[in-house]
Amino acid sequence: MANDIAVYTVIHQPRRLKLPAQPIPKNATVEDIERCLFDERMNERYFEKVATWCYYPATQMFLELVNNNNFKMSIGFSESFLRQARTWDTNLFNLFKQLVAHKNVEPVCVEPYHSFIPLIDLPQFKDRMEWARLNIEQTFGKKPVITDTTEMIMSDGIYHALYSLDFKAALMDGRSWVLGWRDATHLYHQGKDMALLTRHYELSDDVGYRFSNQGWWGYPLMANEYAHWLHEARGDFVFLAWDYETFGEHHSKDTGIFEFMYRFPVELSKQKMKVRTPSEIIKKYRKYSHDLPLSPYPCTWAGEGGIEFFLGNDAQQSVFQLMLHAYNKALLTENPELIDLALWLVQSDNLHLIQWFGRSGSDAEVSAYFTPNEWWQLGPNGIIGEMQQVFKNFIQSLDAYL
Amino acid sequence: MLREQITAENTEFVILSFEGPDRYSLAGGLGVRVSHLAQTLAREGFRVHLIFIGDPNLSGTETFNNDKLILYRWGQWISRYYPEGVYHGENEKLYDFNESVPWFILEHIVKPADLNGKIVVILGEEWHTTEAMCRTSDILHANNLRNKTIMFWNANNTFSFYKIDWGRLSYTTTLTTVSKYMKQIMWGMGLNPLVIPNGVPKAILRRVDDKPVNRLKKSLNSDLILSKVARWDPDKRWNMAVEATARLKFKGIKTKLIARGGMEAHGDEVVYNARHLGLTIADVYTNGHTMNEYLEAIEKHGDADFLNIKFHCPLDLLQVFYNASNAVLANSGHEPFGLVGLEAMASGAIAIVGCTGEEYAVPLHNAIVLETSDPGEIESYLLYLESHQSVKERIRKAARETARLFIWEEAVNNLVQKLEFQARIQGLLVAPRFMPVPESRPSVLQQLANLPTEFNDAVPKREHILRGIA
Repeated sequence: MANDIAVYTVIHQPRRLKLPAQPIPKNATVEDIERCLFDERMNERYFEKVATWCYYPATQMFLELVNNNNFKMSIGFSESFLRQARTWDTNLFNLFKQLVAHKNVEPVCVEPYHSFIPLIDLPQFKDRMEWARLNIEQTFGKKPVITDTTEMIMSDGIYHALYSLDFKAALMDGRSWVLGWRDATHLYHQGKDMALLTRHYELSDDVGYRFSNQGWWGYPLMANEYAHWLHEARGDFVFLAWDYETFGEHHSKDTGIFEFMYRFPVELSKQKMKVRTPSEIIKKYRKYSHDLPLSPYPCTWAGEGGIEFFLGNDAQQSVFQLMLHAYNKALLTENPELIDLALWLVQSDNLHLIQWFGRSGSDAEVSAYFTPNEWWQLGPNGIIGEMQQVFKNFIQSLDAYL
Repeated sequence: MLREQITAENTEFVILSFEGPDRYSLAGGLGVRVSHLAQTLAREGFRVHLIFIGDPNLSGTETFNNDKLILYRWGQWISRYYPEGVYHGENEKLYDFNESVPWFILEHIVKPADLNGKIVVILGEEWHTTEAMCRTSDILHANNLRNKTIMFWNANNTFSFYKIDWGRLSYTTTLTTVSKYMKQIMWGMGLNPLVIPNGVPKAILRRVDDKPVNRLKKSLNSDLILSKVARWDPDKRWNMAVEATARLKFKGIKTKLIARGGMEAHGDEVVYNARHLGLTIADVYTNGHTMNEYLEAIEKHGDADFLNIKFHCPLDLLQVFYNASNAVLANSGHEPFGLVGLEAMASGAIAIVGCTGEEYAVPLHNAIVLETSDPGEIESYLLYLESHQSVKERIRKAARETARLFIWEEAVNNLVQKLEFQARIQGLLVAPRFMPVPESRPSVLQQLANLPTEFNDAVPKREHILRGIA
């Protein structure tokens, strides 16, 4: 039976593309190319909405939990989110600083643009992660020693890239196709001195995904019941990881998600379970960590756990091809600002948001939920066509720099 | 507050147009139209916001008429990449216009105006503004402000009609156009626009200075001077004008054509045709900006039959052209309104116009109206006029009188009437109070007393009625 739990949440807001694609003037400056690519008005609108329903109440809730209940947590911020918070809501930004400053809160380094760069260019990925680590340290005053990637993507190559950056541990999803006979409730490594903390995806998804599903056999989930399930898990600890937006956005306030979380630490105590930060988990279990061979094929916490969630349909494949072309052509310019724009364009959301294309089922529903409402007037084919056009416009605009 | 009328105190105007008053923004007649419309409204005391694709090198906003007229030079960040004019980089500009203008109108014009209890009239011009108009309507609707605004979209031409989502546009705005001819075209498409004719500036009615007119006539040294100002477009029937000029020349009548075209490729075809017909051609350039410099440039080419004017011509120079000419060939085959013909008439010239949207023209009363595309028709009328000087004088006089009915002040008055009609439909205005004057209505007895005698047998006699009453 597990005696410890660790909680991780990751905060991210995409930098949505501007659809229909805005034509880019010939010989446009980098700044003008940028304004044609991204829909900052839409981004601001969504940011404000999520801030109201989730970021403010959830952060108040977590502050209360860490202050009054000795709750502990870890938290990852994409730069994509931080940039928006800095620009559009400094009060919220400061509230997050207040949360991270708490001794019970551990910052986690994540791929800053939530991009697919770990699948495209590992040396660049390393540079980006180093930058992100410094950025988090400068922003919150704490140096992260644990790292996540984008959508918890992990593979043999990514593991070695992160290991070379001296992180103590990396996070990954504990899918059975990766773990094999192993349980997610132990600490792992892949031969090097960098631990792998594997997310318990069933127990995590009970809250992150199924909490408000009235058709689920576990509905309604109560904190005491959930604490009991956690305690019953076979192994050393349970590592739970959720989108931060789980609280108030994916599950609205009226589902009872906040009441559930307020009660959660109390019920954990009743089960004699201790909440620890990831670093504390690693410190306690490091000497018991087991070998976990990683596949060169990446796994992720999205969808069914494989990369097909992002690359599984023709539309995603075509956009991914354009991402590669955009990124590599930007590299040819040797212009750091253009390369930076290309990194924004390889943001995983640009593939996540079109996962529904030609598909049905729960994953497609999740993907469609994240697709901005404003885009649907273009129709499914229109969305894909215009998204491709954004990339084509960018690729063409690079001509002036070559 | 119940209002009966649209007044400068209770209404603001927003005009959306690609073209506008800057040189950069002038391509056809649209820029001139919106400039005059905006200026006239401002002079009438209305606050006017004119949003157009402005010169990127000028200030982003500019105010005139004691802040009554505000120019917004939109999309300057894009125009910097496209220095050749308003339609250079058209798609890029259009995207930005559609994306940003509706929000600007909502936040910076309609919301503040609503706080002050004002009606906002939004006028969109030409196909470029249709999407912005629809989006503006949607955004205003979402903010519960649509019913506090009146939105008119105006078709000055049939350009890019195929690109317009008419169902959406006619649902969100009131359609207008500039002539009954255009109304008929649109009627055929299942649309019913209101007709608000174009206008000419009052200043154009001022008598043109004789000196430059005489100087131009002298320098051209010919029997007949013709002028034509139009885009190089087959609809304008340039080749008809060129052929008429050539026919006159080869009749032994020394004829000159002052031609001011646009930037369109059809110009090459016209020039080729003119050369082929035996006309000598001179391209006339100048960097000058004074009447003297303009005329000097023309004088250098006084021997040519076809003077191809390659520089921007301000209205006062055009008026000199018109007045120096024996006729202004505004002989289009399709003309939504025909502003050049009306401007020529206002300047006191003989306008030879087509017979489509030029509804101001009455044949041989105030203009010559062509019924065919035969150059011989122009030739025939010109020869007739030259041999009937009194008819020419009569037409010139009547032309100016007609033009007086079309000055912008009249056009604005017409526009306001149409807006008030729409405002009443929307409940923004109440119907004006009308009290019949009782004294003016004759009594039954008075009416009977005034009956003509032939009705005496058909109606009851006065005495019978009186008895009946008694």
